[in-house]
Amino acid sequence: MILFRHECRLLLRQRLTVGALALLALLTMAALAGGMAEVARQRAAIAAIPAAHAEDIGAIADYVDRTKDAGSAAYYSFHPTWDAPAPLAFAALGMRDISPYILRVRALGLEAQIYDGETFNPELALPGRFDFAFVLVFLAPLFVIALFHDLVSGEREAGRQRMLEALPNGGRALLRRRMALRLLLLWGLLCLPFMIAAASAGVAVSAVLIVVAIVAAYLLFWAALAALVGRLRWSSVANAATLAAAWLVLVLIVPTLANVAINASIPVHQGAEIAMAQREAVNAAWDVPREATMRRFYADHPEWADSAPLGPRFHYKWYLAFHQNGDARVADKVHAYRAGLEARDATGRSLGWVLPSVGVQALLTQLAGSDLAAQLAYQDRIRAFHARLRAFYYGYLFRDRPFAKADFDRAPRFKDVPRG
Amino acid sequence: MPPMTDPILIDDLTLAYGTQRVLSGLSLRVPAGSITALLGGNGAGKSTTLSALLGFTRAQSGSIAVCGIDPAADPDGARRHIAYLPENVALYEHLSAVENADYLLALSGERQPRDAIVEGLAAAGLQEQAWDQRLGGFSKGMRQKVAIAVALLRRVPVLLLDEPTSGLDPRATADFNALLVQVRARGTAVLMVTHDLLSAADIADRIAFIEAGRVAHEASASGAERFDVRALHARFQAGGAKVAA
Ligand SMILES: Nc1ncnc2c1ncn2[C@@H]1O[C@H](COP(=O)(O)OP(=O)(O)OP(=O)(O)O)[C@@H](O)[C@H]1O
Ligand SMILES: [Mg+2]
Repeated sequence: MILFRHECRLLLRQRLTVGALALLALLTMAALAGGMAEVARQRAAIAAIPAAHAEDIGAIADYVDRTKDAGSAAYYSFHPTWDAPAPLAFAALGMRDISPYILRVRALGLEAQIYDGETFNPELALPGRFDFAFVLVFLAPLFVIALFHDLVSGEREAGRQRMLEALPNGGRALLRRRMALRLLLLWGLLCLPFMIAAASAGVAVSAVLIVVAIVAAYLLFWAALAALVGRLRWSSVANAATLAAAWLVLVLIVPTLANVAINASIPVHQGAEIAMAQREAVNAAWDVPREATMRRFYADHPEWADSAPLGPRFHYKWYLAFHQNGDARVADKVHAYRAGLEARDATGRSLGWVLPSVGVQALLTQLAGSDLAAQLAYQDRIRAFHARLRAFYYGYLFRDRPFAKADFDRAPRFKDVPRG
Repeated sequence: MPPMTDPILIDDLTLAYGTQRVLSGLSLRVPAGSITALLGGNGAGKSTTLSALLGFTRAQSGSIAVCGIDPAADPDGARRHIAYLPENVALYEHLSAVENADYLLALSGERQPRDAIVEGLAAAGLQEQAWDQRLGGFSKGMRQKVAIAVALLRRVPVLLLDEPTSGLDPRATADFNALLVQVRARGTAVLMVTHDLLSAADIADRIAFIEAGRVAHEASASGAERFDVRALHARFQAGGAKVAA
């Protein structure tokens, strides 16, 4: 303990070291504050949904009530869905940053509505949002390099190495102690602010423990790399240059190239293309004989087949039927799209086993519920909700039941999964 | 109780760096409470001998013992008995003299209170106003004093010095030599590598002259084999010429 205090004093007498440590603390706190502000903003937006929804419905309710037409009700009413941030989301915003976390859907064709933002491989993406994960994955290694690159070479260059080694326990034991102290300092500067933020965000203790363990393991990896380079007995400058190059390769270049390679080898149509194809199918349906459209719809959905035949006038059930037919038309594409995204994600994740930066990013976004899986799970919840929405309006339309103002209250409401 | 054996015992040591043989059959012993000066031309193997005593380099054959411990087998064990002053003393510039001593003593597992440390610094001849100053502004002689103070504060039976007075002015050299005489009086075995014949003649009990990897000539300060500075100087010059040729 005494020896640790001595090493601490020695370390903290170096102005550059103190500056680096202070900078890391500052960056960590700024990233945490930024992440928490973003999550708070998202939470506030989600909290504002019910009021806005009530207002939206109120604006159309009178008109619908006059016509008693369930079709108008379905056509004009938007129903909100949302993906509440997990407690840990502030630490790794991941896809929450670019993918929509609020989506208002109508009972019309879903595939034209659901692809509002594009999805990508978050763990391979270049630094995006300035959050805790960014500070850890991209910046922390630079601080490890700053503190570790001259551990031995610095003593050698200062001419002290021989004298130190001549002391009992002045060799390995001293080096180990110095490494441990530096690791502990870096770890503490990353983890203490994180733990405070996590506590205030109500993150489960187990998740906090996993994160701080990940931080330790990641720092250890970089420290081990620095120690390995140090063994080559090069100069401090050469060590620093080598480690900086390793950082560039491991954190930036390889993940970027891997991303390009994965995207090239697993082609995935963009969601916007599916939306476009669905819209084309829907547009074309205006020219298709209405009976053919209904036959096709009833074949897929026999539960509504006993509905009254279409009269000569426009009926919303025909409109909604060809919307759903449009969804069915692109179902294969949707399937392939999702499978492609999952394949890309799986490949990217498996890269995490060899590339610590990728692995850490993947683990953090997984814990924070901001990875692709979470994004797709939200899409699944939207789909399930949308199915309920359709069933609700179809119950009026296909049975020719009048839709009154009060019926809006019976509409299904989206329920977010509780996160803990 | 006096130690059974001499603190430094080297017998028939052979040591090579790769294919380059540096020591071949070197034997040397330094009794407790004595100073041995180790002389020889550049590259003769003087520093290498100290390295072997510290367990930094391993001999191919022969035996070596520091207070009965083989430094090759148990370097930390041997180092516990050795205080060593390397050729170029470098300490921590951003620590004060007292802090340097405090730190290095703690590293050796031999912490001492501040009183003892400043006493040691004073004994080494460091002015009081320099005790709490950072080493950044110290002269070579002042740094040397801090280093020697640490070495002496450790109170270990063996003191190894590699050209301790090189770069010191005559006054500082004389101070240093006086200090070594005190250390000897404490019973320490001192092995001092030096090119400074006058100092050696002044304070050493024995002089060992390395040539061709072994102690080619040994002389003592008294008795029949008493050394003669002029003869040594001549020998030194001849050796130096041989190295240069
Ligand atoms: N680590 C090493 N690796 C290889 N050769 C070495 C090493 N250290 C010393 N030598 C060689 O061993 C020989 C003896 O070196 P040493 O440093 O012991 O000489 P020295 O007597 O101390 O000389 P000087 O008076 O110049 O200090 C030299 O030729 C030197 O080049
Ligand atoms: Mg030498």
